[in-house]
Amino acid sequence: MEVIEEKEEQEQKEEELKGLEPSSELHDVETKLSVEQVCFSSDVPDFDWNSIDTSQLPDSYKMNSPREKKLLRIADHYHQQYAHLCPERKPLFLHPVNECGVEKFVSTTLRPTLLPYTELYHWDGCASFVSDFLTMEPLKCPLTLPSCLYSPTTILKYQRGNCFDFSVLLCSMLIGAGYDAYCVSGYATHDICSLDETLEECPLLRKPQEVPKEEVKKSNKYRVKSLPDMHSKFELQQEAKKKAETEATLKKEREEMGTELEEPTRDRLCGLRVHAWVLVLSGKREVPETFFINPFTGNSHSTMDEQFLGIESVWNHENYWVNMQDCQNGCKDLVFDLSDSVHWEIMLSETAKPLQLLLSAEKENELFDRNMDDMEEEEEEEEEEIHFTMPPSWVAQIQLSPKEFETRCSQGRKVILYKKAKLEKWAPYLNGNGLVKRLTIYADLSCTEVVEVKEWFKNREDMLDMREVNKQTQLTTEYFSPGHLFGLKVHIYKSMSPQTERVMEFYHETRVDGLQKLAENANEMREYFVGRDDFKYFQHTEFRAKRKKVTLAGTTTDGRNSRPIVQIKECFHRNLQKPADEDVAERVFLIEEEVIQLTYHLKDKYITASKKDFLKPTEGYRKQSEIMTPEMCITYQAGSPEQHTKLVHLYKLLQELTEEEKRLKQQAWQSQAEVLKILEIRENEEADIQLSASIYDTERNEKKRQEYEAMMNAKRDEFPGQRDQDLDYLAPFLIQIGSPEKITKRQALRLRDDCLSDFKNRLVSKANIIQAHFEKEVEELQKKNQQFQENQNQLSKEEEAAFLADYSETMFRIHILALRLDREKQTAPQKYLALEEKLCKDPRLAEHLGHA
Amino acid sequence: MSQSDNSFEPNVIDDEMLQKAVEEQWPEDIRNIAKAEGGIDFKDVMELQLSFRNILQIDNLWQFENLTKLQLDNNIIEKIEALESLVHLVWLDLSFNNIEVIEGLDTLVKLQDLSLCNNRISKIEHMDTLQELQIFSIGKNNLTTLENVVYLRRFKNLRALNLTGNPFCDEEQYMLFVVAHLPGLVYLDFKLVSDTTREVAISNYQYLTDLLEHEEAQALAQLEEKQAQQKELEYHKTAFVEYLNGSFLFDSLYAEDTEAAKLAYLPGVDDLLQAYRKDFVSVCENLFNYGLKEYEKREAEVAEFYEGLHEVLTANQEEGRKIILDFENQNKMRLDEIHHASSHDTAESMRAEYNEDILQLSETLMTLEMQMVDQLEELIKEFERNIAVIASTFIDNVKGMMTQCRDLENRHHEKLLEISISALEKSLKNELDEELPDDVREFLVDKNVIVNMVNKSHNIHLLKIDMRECDILLNTYHWEAFVKEKALQNEIDRNRNRVKEIFQYIDDLQEQLEKTQIPEPME
Repeated sequence: MEVIEEKEEQEQKEEELKGLEPSSELHDVETKLSVEQVCFSSDVPDFDWNSIDTSQLPDSYKMNSPREKKLLRIADHYHQQYAHLCPERKPLFLHPVNECGVEKFVSTTLRPTLLPYTELYHWDGCASFVSDFLTMEPLKCPLTLPSCLYSPTTILKYQRGNCFDFSVLLCSMLIGAGYDAYCVSGYATHDICSLDETLEECPLLRKPQEVPKEEVKKSNKYRVKSLPDMHSKFELQQEAKKKAETEATLKKEREEMGTELEEPTRDRLCGLRVHAWVLVLSGKREVPETFFINPFTGNSHSTMDEQFLGIESVWNHENYWVNMQDCQNGCKDLVFDLSDSVHWEIMLSETAKPLQLLLSAEKENELFDRNMDDMEEEEEEEEEEIHFTMPPSWVAQIQLSPKEFETRCSQGRKVILYKKAKLEKWAPYLNGNGLVKRLTIYADLSCTEVVEVKEWFKNREDMLDMREVNKQTQLTTEYFSPGHLFGLKVHIYKSMSPQTERVMEFYHETRVDGLQKLAENANEMREYFVGRDDFKYFQHTEFRAKRKKVTLAGTTTDGRNSRPIVQIKECFHRNLQKPADEDVAERVFLIEEEVIQLTYHLKDKYITASKKDFLKPTEGYRKQSEIMTPEMCITYQAGSPEQHTKLVHLYKLLQELTEEEKRLKQQAWQSQAEVLKILEIRENEEADIQLSASIYDTERNEKKRQEYEAMMNAKRDEFPGQRDQDLDYLAPFLIQIGSPEKITKRQALRLRDDCLSDFKNRLVSKANIIQAHFEKEVEELQKKNQQFQENQNQLSKEEEAAFLADYSETMFRIHILALRLDREKQTAPQKYLALEEKLCKDPRLAEHLGHA
Repeated sequence: MSQSDNSFEPNVIDDEMLQKAVEEQWPEDIRNIAKAEGGIDFKDVMELQLSFRNILQIDNLWQFENLTKLQLDNNIIEKIEALESLVHLVWLDLSFNNIEVIEGLDTLVKLQDLSLCNNRISKIEHMDTLQELQIFSIGKNNLTTLENVVYLRRFKNLRALNLTGNPFCDEEQYMLFVVAHLPGLVYLDFKLVSDTTREVAISNYQYLTDLLEHEEAQALAQLEEKQAQQKELEYHKTAFVEYLNGSFLFDSLYAEDTEAAKLAYLPGVDDLLQAYRKDFVSVCENLFNYGLKEYEKREAEVAEFYEGLHEVLTANQEEGRKIILDFENQNKMRLDEIHHASSHDTAESMRAEYNEDILQLSETLMTLEMQMVDQLEELIKEFERNIAVIASTFIDNVKGMMTQCRDLENRHHEKLLEISISALEKSLKNELDEELPDDVREFLVDKNVIVNMVNKSHNIHLLKIDMRECDILLNTYHWEAFVKEKALQNEIDRNRNRVKEIFQYIDDLQEQLEKTQIPEPME
């Protein structure tokens, strides 16, 4: 059988080769030359597709079913017609050979599959997965179609492929996820075909498009007229002119400098490079607009994209269409209504029901009727073609293990070069520090001078999410996910040593003090708050610069703690429950000068704020009887000159403020201490990086797994013995007397007697049962013996042997029973005594029976 | 506690006692300062304790306007009085006195904690206004009827209640009754009300409480409905078209018109009246709807003006603020510098310079203000113009509609006259086939009489319509004048305040400069 098939295959191959020959002749000489020129450049990494093992593959890979064979015939017929109609066009990509050398129609190579990973339910997840998972191989010859197309399963297994392999796999996944997706065979630019992104900006660096804010502000007719402008218009104009001139010259210079480098070289083969990609039509899965996906990068492109230069044909798992439109302007003007028979030539017309064609049922019926009529007139083969539906895919089910899915790129690592940037990706847990992505940004095109490094982390115990290191300013910025100790969100610093310039941002919702940001440098600290009950939103603390001597001496923590504070300034939001001129807006404690300055909020329509300046009494002064004098407080009350605040109130206020000052000092030092603590923790964390694993991840979470296993073992061990221990031998008797909580002596005695008598009865009945069995056996034996004696002479040898065996067995049983009875008789009294003793010691009865 | 010297003699609260009490509760340092300043102002006192002073009568407390906490326990007070002015009171203790009736608490609407225990009160009453009440203690009194507790249901915030030591506490159902009727209660007689007690109580008294709840809900619904109606009417009134959405006006035409009632007996008048009523009411409805629409328009115009004004003023405030902040930042150290100047002469010159700057600032601020005044004047003028236009269109249209009413009345009058005369003629010829009351027959004798009657009725109607029209017009004029006046007055006040503020600020700056000591001139 196999031999015959192989022969057939060979024949087919030969046929195919023959089929190819005339079509290749169609190329003009120039292209042929260039093909030869270009073909050498294939820098295929040393992977030999011939070495792959095909022996394990299922039968459908190795032979064609009758329907598939028929399909191939139809395809050939179709191709002949096509070649006849369009002799100047290149041959179609219809039935390349697969990894087993069998010709397969391209539509059957698609295997729609929905993989069980939420990320792959969406097109962008699928696209980025395919682009990451597979290693790109250029086409053997960039100008001709590949001669073979392997199954998606094989591609997945070896994790490499050309653009056709990428597209087929991606398309299979997209159709499986419910998209109206098609593989496209066509032409694209050199950059797209060779996965050269060095001229493209990294998508991570693309700035989000600024949505111009709509000016909702409706014009109010009550507006003041602006004041007359007294400036000279002429002067302004002259100035503007000058500025424009200088700018223009500058720009020119810059352009001259820059253009040379960035000008891309013109591609001689532009428009001839073969590429395959994926087309997603609008309609299904709420796709609003038709778009392309480049399988190499996983990026989506508009159908107007100039990098896609032309389309030969498209196919999905049900049909095959040839583009009949002119591609001189690239894909810009193409119509993607596949039901349009003028623009798209369909292969299997019966199945031509793409989504965009929404015929009413009636119309459809009409069409069908007409088809029926037509059919009768048409030739047999044609008829077949019309009726024929695409056979099911020959490819085995696409499978992907969670580990493969997680690891993504081969060896879990991938590097992409962009314009002035390099992007590296790793699988999670591959790096000990949790690094999953690193973007290096360079200043120049040749990628030598590093400007910035961004690193993304995952699964880190310390919640570090991303780190940005700016090599020019030496500034490091770390971003944290919620959950870090102290609610840390962002940490910007130059060095980890304390009291240097740094900014820390916090998740203020998680903090009691509502701290949102803390900026620090050598002598000052700025704290920003959000959502505090006391309306404080800002605090600025200034410290006395430490004398050099002290620092050199190496002060310890307590030295740092008592860093003298020069001044504290607090700012408050307006508290609407208080009148404006009693609501403090700003509070400044000039600690060294012993001055406290209060500034209040502005009253409605006022431009000056009320103020109170307290000059704190010096110690010597305080001892005197006059502890508060009007001179100690300079007051400015906006809008009410006569009102004089009473000294008593001022004094009370001053007392409060003095208290507050102490508290603030303490707090400032605490904040400092906290910063130190955070720094210390961060250092420790960086020194010993821990990765966390989800509790559902049994592979990684060693501890959880062990716990789980231990738990399971424990359960298994525990189960059998459990019953006996828990049985309460007194329970039935307690129930009889109504389970009282407390037992009287009489009840206790009765309980004991009941229990003992019950036990005795049981022992006796047990013995009786054994006795009964014993007697029965003995009787039976005697009966048999008697029978045997009577019939002994007539019995055959076999019967005799049977009898003897039976006899000996019965004797054995009798013996055993006798033994048991004997033992029962011996142990019964012991057991009885043991129970009695146990009852005496029972905690419920001990009280009454203990000394009985 | 320092007892009064004459502890057995009943006292009345007087100034001396108050002075002493206030002084006692303040620490020494503050007392000294206050004394030095010339006594304590009772307005500043927030809390006052007057326990164990043998007080018989409460008096002289009116000066403590801002008092929030007052303790009058352990006295011999017999009557709650003279507390009306203490409207900020939150905490009042009148325990251990001889009070017999709860009274005189109506103005203390902020009261949250009231203690009346150990008195002689026999009924809980006169506390309807104390809606904020949270803690109420009336233990050891003379309360006998348990049903009296139902009175406390009106205090929705009541959380703690003390009733121990009252006669009704001995009743078997006491606890359950109270808990059932006061579902919001958390503490009763110093104990937490347990969930089980509450459940039992509720199940026991469900029939009673359900009834109460139903009644309360009904009363509430009625009240709400009434309020809604009131609000609606208020709204119509502000739109000047109250009682125009229906037949109110028409009915009022006939309310005082006795003649018309008589005429109504004439044959055919009834139909005529019905038709007239229909037309009239529809005109009224039109007027009503137009009035509401116009009202919205007026409000929108005013709101827009104030919005615009607010924007302008905010911008102006910011600008002024900026000028002042700039000045303050520039001159922060100026006074110090002057103070520590090297010599008298330099200090003098510096002072003069600073003074110059202050004057400059004053100038800038005043210029800004002058500009503002000009701009606002224009703004207000425009506003006035718009308001006038709105008012005049409204008036014109109202007049038009009222003319429609008058026309209807005239037409009705003519027809009525016709009918009356024909009826008269018929009656004279004895052709009237219908039975008419005697008083109607009476005037069906002379033509003059009947014409006079119809005319009189007509005049009454016209008068009513005129009055209603006049009402609307007057209201509109008033509104227009009021809005204009208010805008103008606001602006005048604003300007005055701002100028005053600038002067005060400049004065303050100059004063500070004056006060700054400068080095003595060298000999």
